[in-house]
Amino acid sequence: MQLVVFVIASLMVLVGAVGVVLRRHPVHAALSLVLTLFGVAVHFVAQEAHFLAAVQVIVYAGAIVVLFLFVIMLLGVDSADDLRIERLPIQRPLAAVMGVGIVGLLIAAVVATRGSEPLQAGAGINVAGVGIDDAVAGHDANITQLAGNLFADYVFAFELTSVLLIVAVAGTVVLTRREKPPSEEDAP
Amino acid sequence: MSQYLPVVALAIVTVLFGALSFGASRLLAPRRPSSAKSAPYECGILPSQEPPERFPVSFYIVAMLFIMFDIEIIFVYPYAVARSSLGLYGFVAIVVFSVLFFLTFVYEVARGGLDWGPLQRSRNLESAAAVVSPERTTTTTIRRVGTEGRGEPGEAA
Amino acid sequence: MTGVLAIDPLLFGELKWMPLVIVALKVLVIFVVGLVGTMFMVWFERKVIAGMQNRIGPNKAGPFGILQTLADGVKLFFKEDLLPDRADRFVFRLAPFLAFVPAFLVWAVLPLGGDYRDGNRGLVEWFGHATRVQLADPPVGILLVLALSSIAVYGIMLAGWSSGSKYPLLGAVRATAQMVSYEAALGLSLAAVLLTSGSLSTVGIVGTQDSLSNWNVVATGVVPFVIFVIAATAELNRPPFDLVEAEQELVGGFNTEYSSLRFALFFLAEFMNTITMSGVIVTLFLGGPQPLAIGDWTADIPLVGNGLEGTIWFLLKLLLFLYIYVWFRATLPRLRYDQLMDLGWKVLIPISLGWFLLLAALRLGRDEDWNVWLVAGVSVAGLLVAAVVMFGAMKVSGRNRQQGAVY
Repeated sequence: MQLVVFVIASLMVLVGAVGVVLRRHPVHAALSLVLTLFGVAVHFVAQEAHFLAAVQVIVYAGAIVVLFLFVIMLLGVDSADDLRIERLPIQRPLAAVMGVGIVGLLIAAVVATRGSEPLQAGAGINVAGVGIDDAVAGHDANITQLAGNLFADYVFAFELTSVLLIVAVAGTVVLTRREKPPSEEDAP
Repeated sequence: MSQYLPVVALAIVTVLFGALSFGASRLLAPRRPSSAKSAPYECGILPSQEPPERFPVSFYIVAMLFIMFDIEIIFVYPYAVARSSLGLYGFVAIVVFSVLFFLTFVYEVARGGLDWGPLQRSRNLESAAAVVSPERTTTTTIRRVGTEGRGEPGEAA
Repeated sequence: MTGVLAIDPLLFGELKWMPLVIVALKVLVIFVVGLVGTMFMVWFERKVIAGMQNRIGPNKAGPFGILQTLADGVKLFFKEDLLPDRADRFVFRLAPFLAFVPAFLVWAVLPLGGDYRDGNRGLVEWFGHATRVQLADPPVGILLVLALSSIAVYGIMLAGWSSGSKYPLLGAVRATAQMVSYEAALGLSLAAVLLTSGSLSTVGIVGTQDSLSNWNVVATGVVPFVIFVIAATAELNRPPFDLVEAEQELVGGFNTEYSSLRFALFFLAEFMNTITMSGVIVTLFLGGPQPLAIGDWTADIPLVGNGLEGTIWFLLKLLLFLYIYVWFRATLPRLRYDQLMDLGWKVLIPISLGWFLLLAALRLGRDEDWNVWLVAGVSVAGLLVAAVVMFGAMKVSGRNRQQGAVY
């Protein structure tokens, strides 16, 4: 069962990821991204991280990719756009560097954890007081423990998130709204 | 994980139902394609304009703000579920977070990020009256709007 | 403690044959009930709205015209399926499924019945196995509904975009902006429910509502309930929030280019969503299948066994909401788009956030044995300050707009 779920979820992730790169049409690429995000959500569920799985779908698939699609659809980005024309010259070298960096990190992580015990699903989730088999995390064990982490142990990081949100909103306002002198509006 | 099994089963049944219905419809329905049928439907008028290429920026702002609120909601849920064990400390944490969040929202509102619809400017009543033709009398209330009042600077658009 | 009771005991531990058969039966029953219920809903809406408008409504097919929807559905099978020239073929075919499948899946987490007498907490025994009258109770619980409604947005957005025609595109853009806006209000008012129930699971949420004063509509102080109902109506794109398919402006909205069975799937999804959303409201705020209980007295439906009674209660409450939705449609005129957005962002969202914090403060005060009136007073004062700030912001933006200073 574990293996089957793992294979299916990994296939979703990989097919989606390849699709994002290879699909010609930007909307199709964004939809492939949704597939990848779903695969990751299934992986989360398989690791008994239920709340994270829900967040993955609600925030990433439900909000962020919707924003992507909005931009793609509404700007009328056409598939006929020539990809060889470089709009931001630094983009591709940067992407290459990032890609190599991530691959390096992954390899390092695999090598570093080679000798250690395989992680059990739901490991680290405190199911005390839930009273069933340890293999199954209790219903709300997940979210309760996360709440403990967020609002007690890592409260500073949590509050910093709101600062991040401020930056994001301010950025949106600055980028999208432009001051216009009143005279220009009234001119014929 | 087996708790999800029924949901997956229901999803499979639903997709199968959709696919089978399409199969049935394919066998049962006629196929007489014509160029009129496959043109964009615009109530019989020949499509002359392309679909709009660009949309007002307000839609992006809404999508962007929705991400913010989604994140806020996602942070509120753990607090709501585990409130009894978090006590005053957790409450202060969520209040500080919400207040900061609310202030950014207020900033966005104050800058007009969520303003929709036409500008509501105070109208010059006299120039508005000029648009109405003299045919509008006490016996007929039909407002005949002609070109006579139009074309004034600032009034158009 | 709810942890143990929340998980469906049927699917706990090693999987055996009999439980799997029961699950398969449940899936089939829910699927059929979903389809039949949707047909009923279409008929119900047409009949009730006809009554409200002094008409007769469907009355030819079957007794009281109840088979009218079936006839309409069968007819759609025989209609030509059009694929517009300028459509994006893959997405055009995918979109109906994205609208239709999530609509069905919400059924999975709704408690549809059960035995709530004598401290049974909703467990029933079928074929010698204790289980719940509910398809599944995954640990994400009610968040599944939110996740599914965020997927349903894709169905509408992609349907409109992939048609390659201007009115569907306009309709889809409107719909998406509307749905995401009200999803935020929906999520925030849901937080108030989670505060009282202390659990994400629908079984847990229903479990805490064991008497009228514990029903969340009372326990959370009505405001989240009202906001949830309004936001749910907007989320469903039902009147008075049906700008998505405002016929006068947009032909038919996002599904203009769809015909035959593809259209049928959208139609089905729309009405299915109405039913499931009513079910969600009943579950969250009206105690789901719990019987009406005031103090020590519990309403009893005569001649019905305890195991069936929960289902009847659920259906009664559900019917109430279906009627209310039809009533909305018959009564309320459609909103303008700027009114819609203002209502969602500037009224519902701030109020639901404020109300959540107020509830949290009151509960905290109760836990810590503070003076209730003092806590309430301080919180209300804080909320008033926030309201003043909000009104100030709206005034500033209004003035800027009048002067044309900010674009």
